[in-house]
Amino acid sequence: MAKAVVIGAGLAGLTAAIRLGEVGFNVTLLAAGYGGLPLSPGTVDVFGYAPKQVADPLQAASEAPPPHPYAVIGAERLRSGLEWIANSLGPEFLVGAIDRNWLLPTAAGALRPTCLAPPSMAAGQGQVDAVIGFAQLKDFPAALVAGNLGARPVILDFPARDAEAECSSVVYARAFDDPGFRERFAAAARPLLRPGERVALPAVLGSRDTHPVREVSGLLQAEVFEVATVPPSVPGLRLNAALLARARAAGVRMVNGSRAVGFSVDKDRISAVEVAAAGSPEFLRADAFVLATGGFESQGLVMDSHGVISEPLFGLPVAAPQAAAFAADFWADHPLLRAGVRVDSELRPVDADAGPVHSNLRAVGGVIGGANRIRELSGDGIAIGSAWAAAESLRRMK
Amino acid sequence: MTELVGHDFARASLDHCLKCTICETQCPVAAVTPLFPGPKYVGPQAERFRAGLSVDASVDYCSSCGTCTLVCPQGVQIAELNSQARAAMKAKHMPPRDRLISQTTLMGAVMTPFAPLANWALGNRPIRTVVEHTFGIHRDAPMPPAQSQSFMGWWKRRPQVQPDAPRGQVVFFHGCAGGYFEVETSKCAVEVLEFLGYEVIVPEQGCCGLAMQSNGLYRSAGAAVVKLSQSLLHGDLPIISASGSCTGMLKHEAREIMGVADEAVAEAGRRIRDIMQFLRDLLEAGELPLNFAPINKRLLYHAPCQLKSQGMGMPALDVLQLIPGLEVDESGVPCCGIAGTYGLKREKYQIAQAVGKSLFDQAKTHDLVVCDTETCRWQIRKSAGVRVEHPIMAVHQGYGLSEPGALIG
Ligand SMILES: Cc1cc2nc3c(=O)[nH]c(=O)nc-3n(C[C@H](O)[C@H](O)[C@H](O)COP(=O)(O)OP(=O)(O)OC[C@H]3O[C@@H](n4cnc5c(N)ncnc54)[C@H](O)[C@@H]3O)c2cc1C
Ligand code: SF4
Ligand code: SF4
Ligand code: SF4
Repeated sequence: MAKAVVIGAGLAGLTAAIRLGEVGFNVTLLAAGYGGLPLSPGTVDVFGYAPKQVADPLQAASEAPPPHPYAVIGAERLRSGLEWIANSLGPEFLVGAIDRNWLLPTAAGALRPTCLAPPSMAAGQGQVDAVIGFAQLKDFPAALVAGNLGARPVILDFPARDAEAECSSVVYARAFDDPGFRERFAAAARPLLRPGERVALPAVLGSRDTHPVREVSGLLQAEVFEVATVPPSVPGLRLNAALLARARAAGVRMVNGSRAVGFSVDKDRISAVEVAAAGSPEFLRADAFVLATGGFESQGLVMDSHGVISEPLFGLPVAAPQAAAFAADFWADHPLLRAGVRVDSELRPVDADAGPVHSNLRAVGGVIGGANRIRELSGDGIAIGSAWAAAESLRRMK
Repeated sequence: MTELVGHDFARASLDHCLKCTICETQCPVAAVTPLFPGPKYVGPQAERFRAGLSVDASVDYCSSCGTCTLVCPQGVQIAELNSQARAAMKAKHMPPRDRLISQTTLMGAVMTPFAPLANWALGNRPIRTVVEHTFGIHRDAPMPPAQSQSFMGWWKRRPQVQPDAPRGQVVFFHGCAGGYFEVETSKCAVEVLEFLGYEVIVPEQGCCGLAMQSNGLYRSAGAAVVKLSQSLLHGDLPIISASGSCTGMLKHEAREIMGVADEAVAEAGRRIRDIMQFLRDLLEAGELPLNFAPINKRLLYHAPCQLKSQGMGMPALDVLQLIPGLEVDESGVPCCGIAGTYGLKREKYQIAQAVGKSLFDQAKTHDLVVCDTETCRWQIRKSAGVRVEHPIMAVHQGYGLSEPGALIG
């Protein structure tokens, strides 16, 4: 059985590992820590702003000029990847159409374009009557959200655990797993709502899945939907857990909490990565390697004190625009966020002459340059599209 | 050595914290009690204000399971900071209970000659109630079964056959628990190594100091680990152990938590392999015999937190899946709750039970649970009421070294 090692367990690494497992690789997924999913609203953003607000993300991706990663991935592979992830997670996790963006409220009550969304959040498109918040959940400013959405704020004094004056979304989500808590909550909220109202709640209705959302809807006799909170984000954690479970089901071996720190080569191929295990290093040998270490936020890219940007694991060439490290305007489109490795159509990192650096290495997700993922709201689509394309490429190589 | 030299190392990671809250969401203790505000708060956040002193006693509720350090994307040594803060906090008034339960070798040495009596006392409710009141060890907390023969007792008395050792020699480190309580595990490990063609050397050895370390007794723990390491270094032989947590102490905890900078410890840390890791190394090198007899059982494997933090994945899973007929589920649970001696303590017993609950529930639906560390096995055995063994026992049986059914049910 051909062996693959995926380095990084964010959205890109997890999807690459699952797909490689499905197509018959013996996969090891190595991660220094969690990726960005626990901070994500649990949606799959494909293209939100290009730079104008996007209605059809697939169309916008097909028009992205090089060196944007979408120009390499192409609309067809992006579509296949998105359809695959939507099908494998199912409508319990993701709903929507690949050629249409939802416009869903954020934790500040602004509207944000996104492609696939959890069903509990997708219901938030359109008119909102009331926004429920908890006095003990500071991470969800219900009055602000309601004000921006033109809805009525309803703030409950309703701790998740006895006498806890303040806690995070995760503590509420665990409380909502308990049917008794849901009933007590409904009893407290029902008198403050009118039947049939469309009611927004912070995305804390259950830690594992969105089944409690439907139940709370029934108890309140209202149409209830979730709005993402600031991190920790429960829908992102649900997605992370669901992907980890699918990876396990696809036979992926996990090595968590360990950083890849070196590698060995054999001619044009990488033969092993060195892992900083406790005691003495471990070497993971494989036929194929997938670099999914993310961008600056996860140390997939680093900038030293001299302003030099590099890819620290394989020392791959990094394309970085000429720009100062600090910009005057925090909200401006900072050119350095487009830094990253360049890949060919097989998702192989390339050197200055556009030739592959190592024949059995693929790069996926945020480590690929050419996009400002945060501003464009394109990071999830790039992660999934590149992971799919890399897995297909390696499958052919096998 | 000062009490807290390891501190600089962990403290240097403090400024990498982005306040992303990922650690908070995965901490198994914060998930079950409002008494513990979570890793970000007691770790990198409170550390800024400590200057050697403790600002918040709630750090004592951290079990040191290390889950937070594993999931932190920025490499903050959260669990290590917590251990150090706890040691500093307790330095002035160490509870006598915490000193007592740290004396693992002494406990074993005292209990072994009186095994039936000791086991009777540990199972005796009135006695345990008195112990709870006087020492703060919860009356229902899991206690190891005393054995009438220690591992060394067996080792010295077994018939000395000149082993045929085509693969050369290895040093075996049994650990306190493997020496006095989980004696069968140690015997199986040695017999598997001999079956594979190694000559096993068992030097006189003491305690690694892990229990003292986790209770903040760094000075005595540091001395113990240095002495142990010296006794385990023989030529350039590899050191093998079936005691997953003690292996972690030698590999990294002595240095990363206590800052022990001793060369013997560093060398022992480089050489030591967990027994299942050693077998997996052989497998990867194509040198592990694969002629396992089938075992038709459904097992639950729980990877102990102290093994997960060694960054080697789950070698037991890689090896067990070679045995035909064996179905192995992985628990996916971060911690069983006991965390060494944490779950024994009166004020933490209920928390530890809540931490391990989903593991105990899974355990009840399996024929057998396998787990690499001793205290976790005691915790799961006691709390789920099921048989729990080290994964090496399945290998032992698979190689035909024990009768089918003898060791693993
Ligand atoms: C604050 C913020 C907000 C964002 N908001 C959005 C948004 O709203 N919409 C959107 O589409 N995108 C957004 N993004 C971007 C989005 O997070 C990423 O594009 C996407 O998650 C990238 O996924 P990834 O899998 O490539 O990397 P990551 O999720 O960053 O994962 C990287 C993984 O690699 C591991 N790793 C790194 N180095 C090593 C090593 N040497 N050895 C082993 N493992 C290693 C890490 O531990 C981690 O598991 C945001 C990013 C940030 C930072
Ligand atoms: S996971 Fe790491 S970076 Fe994030 S809050 Fe915890 S310590 Fe800080
Ligand atoms: S070591 Fe374990 S109990 Fe302590 S803070 Fe970290 S995750 Fe929580
Ligand atoms: S007791 Fe076991 S699973 Fe639990 S804390 Fe440790 S090694 Fe972890």
